[in-house]
Amino acid sequence: MVKADPDGTAEDKPSLKIKLGGKDVSTAGKQGSGATKLKIKLPAAKPELIEPANNEDNEKPVKKEKRTRKRKAPSPDEYIPVGAEIEGIGADDIEELSENEDDYYKLGAEDNEFKDYASLKLKPDHANRPLWVCPDGRIFLETFSPVYRQAYDFLIAIAEPVCRPECVHEYVLTPHSLYAAVSIGLNTQTIITVLNRLSKVQLPPEISEFIQESTGNYGKVKLVLHRNKFWVESPFPDILRKLLKDDVIQKAHVAAPEGDGFTVTAGLTEQAAVDLTKEVEMAEVEEIADGSDPGPDPAAADPGLAAAEALAQAEHRERELHSFEIEPSQVEHVKARCLPGGLNYPMLEEYDFRNDTVNADLNIELKPHVQHRPYQEKSMAKMFGNGRARSGIIVLPCGAGKSLVGITAAARIKKSVLCLVTNSVSVDQWKHQFKLWTNLQDHQISRFTSDQKELFAGVSGVTITTYTMVSYSGRRSEESAKVMEEIASREWGLLLLDEVHVVPAQMFRKVIGIVKAHCKLGLTATLVREDERISDLNFLIGPKLYEANWLDLTRAGHIANVQCAEVWCPMTKEFYREYLKKDNAARRQLLYVMNPNKFQACQFLIQYHEQVRGDKIIVFSDNIFALREYAQRLRKPFIYGGTSHQERTRVLAAFKRSSEVSTVFLSKVGDNSIDIPEANVLIQISSHAGSRRQEAQRLGRILRAKKGKPGSQAADEFNAFFYTLVSKDTQEMYYSTKRQQFLIDQGYSFKVITNLLDAAGGANLQLSTRDEQLDVLAKVLAAGEEEAGVEVADVTDDVTRTKKALAQRTTGNMGALSGAHGLTYMEYGTSKAQKPRLTTKSGKTRHLLFRKHAQGKL
Amino acid sequence: MVSAMRGVLLQCDVPTKEFILSLNDSKPTNERFVILDLDDTRLFVQPTVVEWLEKRLKEFNEENTYQPPRREDMR
Repeated sequence: MVKADPDGTAEDKPSLKIKLGGKDVSTAGKQGSGATKLKIKLPAAKPELIEPANNEDNEKPVKKEKRTRKRKAPSPDEYIPVGAEIEGIGADDIEELSENEDDYYKLGAEDNEFKDYASLKLKPDHANRPLWVCPDGRIFLETFSPVYRQAYDFLIAIAEPVCRPECVHEYVLTPHSLYAAVSIGLNTQTIITVLNRLSKVQLPPEISEFIQESTGNYGKVKLVLHRNKFWVESPFPDILRKLLKDDVIQKAHVAAPEGDGFTVTAGLTEQAAVDLTKEVEMAEVEEIADGSDPGPDPAAADPGLAAAEALAQAEHRERELHSFEIEPSQVEHVKARCLPGGLNYPMLEEYDFRNDTVNADLNIELKPHVQHRPYQEKSMAKMFGNGRARSGIIVLPCGAGKSLVGITAAARIKKSVLCLVTNSVSVDQWKHQFKLWTNLQDHQISRFTSDQKELFAGVSGVTITTYTMVSYSGRRSEESAKVMEEIASREWGLLLLDEVHVVPAQMFRKVIGIVKAHCKLGLTATLVREDERISDLNFLIGPKLYEANWLDLTRAGHIANVQCAEVWCPMTKEFYREYLKKDNAARRQLLYVMNPNKFQACQFLIQYHEQVRGDKIIVFSDNIFALREYAQRLRKPFIYGGTSHQERTRVLAAFKRSSEVSTVFLSKVGDNSIDIPEANVLIQISSHAGSRRQEAQRLGRILRAKKGKPGSQAADEFNAFFYTLVSKDTQEMYYSTKRQQFLIDQGYSFKVITNLLDAAGGANLQLSTRDEQLDVLAKVLAAGEEEAGVEVADVTDDVTRTKKALAQRTTGNMGALSGAHGLTYMEYGTSKAQKPRLTTKSGKTRHLLFRKHAQGKL
Repeated sequence: MVSAMRGVLLQCDVPTKEFILSLNDSKPTNERFVILDLDDTRLFVQPTVVEWLEKRLKEFNEENTYQPPRREDMR
């Protein structure tokens, strides 16, 4: 509650008396620091208005409350609560600003979101700490704080990033993220202590409870494949006893030869966890040593530090691990039983590859010139933290070197590797990468696609194949079946999954069951899907081990600095009229893509970048009709599903090397498969219904780090550009904003350009006369249904089709069909006709008579 | 004799005018409200439909704008 001083002293001083959680805390001294630390991005006028308004309008707020929309906030609106969420300014807020200009401004103005955290206790030295922790699990991190580095590393290990723009990051604590934290070795107490230490407010009790509740049972039990036997391992023998009381596990248990006790082994400590906590402590010590805030805290911190040291020492000793063995065939059941639905002790899976003597070693070494970047090393540290290999997912931006991370993991484990990718072009690329970074020879790397069905010579090696090849459930050709048999029966050391976000799809999940691998590593840049199945990856593969920050990588120069822009093109009158007509519903997409203004914008951008800057440009379009129209009118080469392989290679080679071909038009096939490092500019003229992942993948085409131009390269200079051309007032606006969400969460901001063609002036752009436009319109309306739609990407090129076509054409005459030619009936076998079976589907043997029929004796 | 018709002059931008015309076409003949189409950005319409038009326009604009869903508490 703000109490404006009735005797008017408040009018002189700019200070306010603010009641926080029941106590009056004068903020006179701290007003300045408080406001700056909150970093409120307001339109310039507002901050000055808040203070005078507080002092003068004492009665007004009451009236204003009735006038404005219903607000659930219990407190009056004149001040900014200390723990308030720092929401962006929405369109609603701006309207409201203009309505009630002269009194107050509310942050995060939507009704049900304005949460009042004034009850959180602020620590006296809050200025030194980087985190706001809110009772609903949200955490806000200030990037300008001196301990940002360490706090970021810690937070990324325990929480999910929601949005990471430049100044303030938002994270949220979820059960999955805590599971991931535990799996790399942080325990409950450590998490709570460090979080408390980094937080500006006292840790709310709900948060401590939530962390304890979630992590209570995680990470206590591990499933380890050791000396080719499966062991259930834990540092706590009483948990093991509890597990053994359960039926399913009892059945799977193989009694140890030396009697009833558990086998006890020593284990190495979790190095990654210790490092994280140590870093935070070191940073803290520096902070306090700077003398930035002399308060009671340094004294309190010292015993805290000492205690932490002792803890670290204790962890350095080896821990004792108890374990019991289980049957290999029962492993799946045991794992399923321990999930939160059953016993609620989810098992971590680790692979002790150093002591694995049964699987043949693969002599794979990284080449000596290989240098890892810091984020690559960090992700490896998370994976191999305690000397064993953990299964999980690593998320790195496109072009940041994911292949190298996968190959490094393979080189560490030194066992056979099975690599699964999305399409056959990627298969070739991965093989090339393996040969580039390691000392493997051609005969040790085999590719399994519809074109090549190889298998490596020798007992161990690397096989690269596609998801479709492995999960195909129909009949295979002879060679295919042989290779598949080999893949399914072998014990793989590492299963590398590229673009792992496709795995939760119904078709590809089976892969996890078919292939038997000790360690699974998933790699992707975009861990999002438009359905809700992305969380299934936690149980299919493992927790997220590491996620890199796109902006940080950009600043460090590992990926290109991209300027994202949205260009708004108004629709012409005729096109818009057709768009609005109901009977053109199917052609809507075609209409807003073929918008003449958009065409002109595209032409202008291409001319500008080609001639003025000399960049290489890729233009993406999902819609084939549009692709061909644009490319033919602008006289540029284009590639789509129907282009032959030869033509594709020719065009791409010309694009890479010759300076004449600087622009190429691509359809959906270019999304994943083609690797074009030298493109600088990406123009998107049509897109598929709002898929965030697709937008990010396309951006990845140009994210590879650019070599600097011969001139200077300022830190802020952009060297890559991403344009999305959008037709105003159509559905495209909606889809475009939706697609951008992922990139916005990573920190990219989209500039909006509304008047591109004003600068076009003298350039003679096509489609400027009404006649030409009407021509195009007529063409569009005449286009058939399928042309008007989106291209269906040719994903079936990886799988050999042995099925016959569903419909067959033969010539004949009607008479033959009704028996006029003496043919009354004919028997033939179809695949639907079942052979007579010896057992029923459920396995019971059939009646004697049926069995005899099956054997042909009847 | 001059017969006078009372109406409202609407001034808007080109796409909005097209939209209003399409709304007009979608109504049955006796309910059509556009009296005269003046030029690219002006229309003369019956006075009774103004509020309804405003409502429909607002809906149309909201269809075309994407509001990111509020992030609920993930617990």
